[in-house]
Amino acid sequence: MIEPSLALYGEAYARVDQHLEELLEQTGVRYCLLVDRKGFVLSHKEALWAPRPPALDSVATLVASNAAATAALANMLGERTFSEQTHQGDNGTLYVESVGDHALLTLIFDSSVALGKVKVYTRKSIEKVVVILDEIAEMPQPELGDDFSKGAVSLLDDLLG
Amino acid sequence: MSTINFAAREINCKIVYYGPGMCGKTTNLKHVFGRVPEHLRGEMVSLATEDERTLFFDFLPLDLGSVQGFKTRFHLYTVPGQVFYNASRKLILRGVDGIVFVADSAPNRLRANAESMRNLRENLAEHGIDVRDVPIVLQVNKRDLPDALPTEMIRAVLDPKKELTLYEASAAQGVGVFETLKAASRLVLEKLSQNR
Repeated sequence: MIEPSLALYGEAYARVDQHLEELLEQTGVRYCLLVDRKGFVLSHKEALWAPRPPALDSVATLVASNAAATAALANMLGERTFSEQTHQGDNGTLYVESVGDHALLTLIFDSSVALGKVKVYTRKSIEKVVVILDEIAEMPQPELGDDFSKGAVSLLDDLLG
Repeated sequence: MSTINFAAREINCKIVYYGPGMCGKTTNLKHVFGRVPEHLRGEMVSLATEDERTLFFDFLPLDLGSVQGFKTRFHLYTVPGQVFYNASRKLILRGVDGIVFVADSAPNRLRANAESMRNLRENLAEHGIDVRDVPIVLQVNKRDLPDALPTEMIRAVLDPKKELTLYEASAAQGVGVFETLKAASRLVLEKLSQNR
């Protein structure tokens, strides 16, 4: 399939997590999410003072879909892609930037935070995170055995009858 | 391919409901949303036009629970069925793990069913995916219509080699919705275990 499957684990995950934590501190944003191109949350951080976050699954799905639609638009205009998207409201901003071909870094913040500052620090973080994701893509993926399938099917019976 | 987050102990799978316009894809999702316990489902996101036709997609996250320590989750999507929304359909198919093809039993929708299936094959091919590599379940919907075509006639058009598992449904009444989803989920989980 064309979409790479990302498996974050062990030390790689801890490093990504650390970079997101640093980004959160440096910029003063509320929420910071690493989302894969399919719309799944790979990692997320929130400021201690931030209110309860929105439904992250929904945010990730809409961000990834929006990025995909924007990329299609870019292609129509002769660009390979548009690497960043900014959505500014009266009180808040959503900023999304591509992390290579693998993922999207999403930051949500209020009007007290300067967009320019967010962009500068986000790009620095992306340089580090993209290296880790490239490393992960070349690592062998751990296997899920038949036991996993049996256990999951049993839960399916419980959920769907 | 499913996204596995070993560190966060999460597995996410994407199932897409595909089919011609007004065949009942969103109705399937609405029924699931209405019947699954609240703590096992997330928000349902619908990007629809004013007349409630799906414009981009509908989205519903569904928690299966924890399997061997992995929080396992299905993300259910529908695509817009109308012919002119093909760009959206293509985007939604990105990274799909399983498909429910919803066919309409109305006599005047037989051609639309066939065109949608052909469109599915084409769009998968554009993503570099062979249709035989993706788990697909066929749901023949609207069986409650008084003039519903015979199921075998619909299958003969969509799946002449009888390769797909078929479920009859009346999604508006909630009939066959869970059975179809369960079959598709099961195929996805089996493939997940085999591939890794």
